[in-house]
Amino acid sequence: MADVKSEERKDATELVGKESIANDMLIKHPLHSNWTLWYFEKNNSKSWEDNQREITSFNTVEDFWSLYNHIKLPSELRVGCDYSLFKKGIMPMWEDQANRAGGRWLINLDRKQRETDLDRFWLEILLCMVGEAFDEHSDDICGAVVNVRGKVDKIAVWTADGQTSNTVLAIGRKLKERLNLGNQSSLGYQMHKDTMVKTGSVTRNQFTV
Amino acid sequence: MSASPIARQATQSIPVRRVMLSDPSQLPNDYSTTPGGTLYSTTPGGTRVVYERNFLLHLRNSPLSRTPPSNLPNIPESLLKGSVDRPLLSPPKENGTIIPSALKKDQDAQDEQFEMDM
Repeated sequence: MADVKSEERKDATELVGKESIANDMLIKHPLHSNWTLWYFEKNNSKSWEDNQREITSFNTVEDFWSLYNHIKLPSELRVGCDYSLFKKGIMPMWEDQANRAGGRWLINLDRKQRETDLDRFWLEILLCMVGEAFDEHSDDICGAVVNVRGKVDKIAVWTADGQTSNTVLAIGRKLKERLNLGNQSSLGYQMHKDTMVKTGSVTRNQFTV
Repeated sequence: MSASPIARQATQSIPVRRVMLSDPSQLPNDYSTTPGGTLYSTTPGGTRVVYERNFLLHLRNSPLSRTPPSNLPNIPESLLKGSVDRPLLSPPKENGTIIPSALKKDQDAQDEQFEMDM
């Protein structure tokens, strides 16, 4: 009697083992955070905030891909448009409480890189964020923005607090590693409060990796 | 002693929350969501749900990931792949005869894919 039961259990275990690969494709995998995609389209007749549109939110791997697979890549957007992916509840603007004390790791991409790097870097950063690749520092991630512009496209990862240097630096180093940026190029971190009051075209870097 | 996170994960029981339903109307609209959003996976210690890059990429082409987003109608048309590029909230231009036919083709393609998934 007991033997039969243990046999049954063994069979069941084997069955589950075989099916677990297929099951990966049938269930939705929950993300640690809820994320919201924003889309900015330049329209001079409206205010900056009105041009910022909340598109949708997701909290599973599959819903992330479903959205990503059906919308345009950054390189397909018109010049002047942005995508922002932020944790739900955080608006993609400096003024939001969650961003106010923070800053951004900034990647500038020249016109040629729109074909080679823009979409690749953006996806890599999305995967870092939804996959929580920054470990315990992931809590400091607010979101990321890609700006498609005439001359220089930009991708930035926003963090919550520019004073927590070890967290900011750990995030910067991870980004550099995941984007496979060699030692010849450096990444700069700028405080939002410095970007806000900048007088020239360049904001000073608080940190560099 | 110091098993890899994956090995330790395999030996930990997976937390399960059971939800009783009394009526079919309590089922989620989305066929792939469990009632009440039952939690089925977590990292060792349960502190953070982490996904490796390759695992995320592996799921990119799963049937669920290829299904159109459930809120597709709320996504601006100009953001959708294959759509004609024109500003939001502005009327179609004079050459509108080309635009509708291009959009129609896209919609048909999506409908077809959706039916296959069902």
